[in-house]
Amino acid sequence: MLLPRLQPPLRTAVKAIGRSSQQACLNEAFGALAIRGGGPSISPASLTFVRHASHAQQGAVNKAKDGPGKRLGAKKSGEQYVIPGNIIFRQRGTHWFPGDNCGMGRDHTIYATEAGYVKYYKDPERHPKRQYIGVTFERSQVLPLPRNSMRRRKLNMFAQKMETAPIEAPRPDLFLATDGSQAVVIKETPVEQKPLKLKSGYMYRKSNWEIGRAAERAKIQVKEFKPRDRWAAWKKTIKRRAANREKRVVGGKKTKKKGRKSMSRTT
Amino acid sequence: MSTCQKAARPLTRCLQTPQGSQLSARSIRTFTSSPRSNEEEAAVESTKQPRVWDPLTVTSKKGEKALMKSGVMPIGSRRRRMAIQTSDNIPFEQLPYQCFQEGLTVLKEDRAEKIKLIQTERLRISNLQALDPSKLKGGEQVKHTRLESMRRHLEYLKIQADRNDPNIKKRFEDGDGDMNKPIYRFLADEQWRKYQRRQIVQRINQLGIVPDVLAHFEPSAEVRLAFRSRQVEHGGFIDSRVSEVPLRLKVQVFDKGERLVSIVVVDSDVPLVDSDKFTSRCHFLAMNVPLSPTTTSIPLSQLSLEQITLPWLPPFAQKGSPYHRYSVFVCEQTAGKIDTSTLQSLSRDDFFLRSFKDKHSLKPVGMSIFRSEWDEGTAGVMARAGIEGADVEFRRKKVVALKPKQKARGWEARHSSAKYRQLWRGKKPFALKR
Repeated sequence: MLLPRLQPPLRTAVKAIGRSSQQACLNEAFGALAIRGGGPSISPASLTFVRHASHAQQGAVNKAKDGPGKRLGAKKSGEQYVIPGNIIFRQRGTHWFPGDNCGMGRDHTIYATEAGYVKYYKDPERHPKRQYIGVTFERSQVLPLPRNSMRRRKLNMFAQKMETAPIEAPRPDLFLATDGSQAVVIKETPVEQKPLKLKSGYMYRKSNWEIGRAAERAKIQVKEFKPRDRWAAWKKTIKRRAANREKRVVGGKKTKKKGRKSMSRTT
Repeated sequence: MSTCQKAARPLTRCLQTPQGSQLSARSIRTFTSSPRSNEEEAAVESTKQPRVWDPLTVTSKKGEKALMKSGVMPIGSRRRRMAIQTSDNIPFEQLPYQCFQEGLTVLKEDRAEKIKLIQTERLRISNLQALDPSKLKGGEQVKHTRLESMRRHLEYLKIQADRNDPNIKKRFEDGDGDMNKPIYRFLADEQWRKYQRRQIVQRINQLGIVPDVLAHFEPSAEVRLAFRSRQVEHGGFIDSRVSEVPLRLKVQVFDKGERLVSIVVVDSDVPLVDSDKFTSRCHFLAMNVPLSPTTTSIPLSQLSLEQITLPWLPPFAQKGSPYHRYSVFVCEQTAGKIDTSTLQSLSRDDFFLRSFKDKHSLKPVGMSIFRSEWDEGTAGVMARAGIEGADVEFRRKKVVALKPKQKARGWEARHSSAKYRQLWRGKKPFALKR
């Protein structure tokens, strides 16, 4: 870094300013010096730039970057037995491409999707330049497989008898193979007879939708609300008041009856 | 204009308007002693005949409703019908636009040239056919190749002659093209190759039909599937109850002539638990089915019993098994009619199309695919078809980990061996008195 260096006359001037520090900041002192105009004129030629031999930043900035090693490379060698999920090769970019029974992750990691033996190979018919990693089921199998041959696949499953017989809910919209004239009727078990299901919160209860349709099942008729029908609203009010009165009587004599304010007619 | 003129303006206007001419003889009664009702009745009767609506020109909603009620649908959009109704209906090629007519003249001249070329080519072919092969340098082989080449060129010229005709283009686009004519076959093939063929090739590659079922396959005929009225997308999943009935095929070939085809439906994902593999099964096989560019519809349920070698087995997939791919292949019988009596003992299981087609010299020309998974109706379908195994469920085998189980950690784990039996909980160490 080149540092500007002040000439001796200026140095003494600055020292003088420092001694008699009327101004708070040195910058302001320099400013005052310039304004006064007196004294030696500061020309740009009087500032010299100096370069030292070595500096602190030399070591850090211009050094080649090198961090801790990321342990890339092959994790499974050729003809080694792997299971699905095993990582075979870690890489930056695709030095190797996924071949048979292998997949590639988001950071281009090659991993096995089937249990078998790892194979490193080239397949010029697939791509002239690329190299692949694949997994075979037999150690002696050579990749790439012959052109247009059937793919080798493994079931990897076992058969088991189902615990409950497969129940088929008949669908009325689909045709019956035997006879299309009969209509399919779905019989629903009544809600009361249905067993209670275990719900969230470890409660055995009916489903909310079943509870919601209770009024429909009980065939309760409700009159439609008409917003500006004061006659119906008044009738409802009368009914509600009567019910409340009855409730109060039934509730007990301890409850205080609030006396209704009667409208006194002014004559 | 004076005030009186202004005042009388409505009246004068009324008198000036030709409303008088619109008045019918009915309303203007001349002096007569007979009652008015007689005339009115006659008038009403004459208008009682039902109005006939033309499906090409009907525009009113009332007319459309009346037509649809009678069972006839109006043709085209309302705008089109209005245009036909109000225009002069000049045939397309006679439209009076100068550039258009000049263009048509140029095309007509070109067509005339091509027809001349077709005639000369035909003459050349007949001359070459009549020629003795010994007179040619190369003999029969050269004559044959030359004839083939000339025939190909003739077909090319036929198409070039008709290609620019706007009426042919219109007829093809309306679906009225006669597939016995080469130009319509050519246009249909071109349209198929633009999109639908690309789609089926994509599905073949994606679903791995080519390496698994056949080594090589290039579609040259369009195949469309449907179950009853439900169209099937290439590679789409079909409910087991829907595919319980036999397929309906729609096959369009683009080369002329009638030929005999075989139809094969193969399931290439039948699981085998014992050998931990997959095998193939044939769900349908029909042979000696006639097919031509004009006969496109093949309902499999309506084929004769002689043609059907293996009747329709409903597709089914057991619970937990991966999806099954069903490939429907239409194969040309290059050796002519096949004697189906030799195929009576053919088994459905372990059916491989690769060997079957080589044995009977079949050439696959078109195919389509659909897939099937386990659903609620599969059990019923299997029961009705008499197939066992509806209550079988496939479950994944547990993969044994290569890594040994992690060692137990902690003080308890480290001090649980016999070496530390003094420290075992609940047991006091027996201290020997020395």
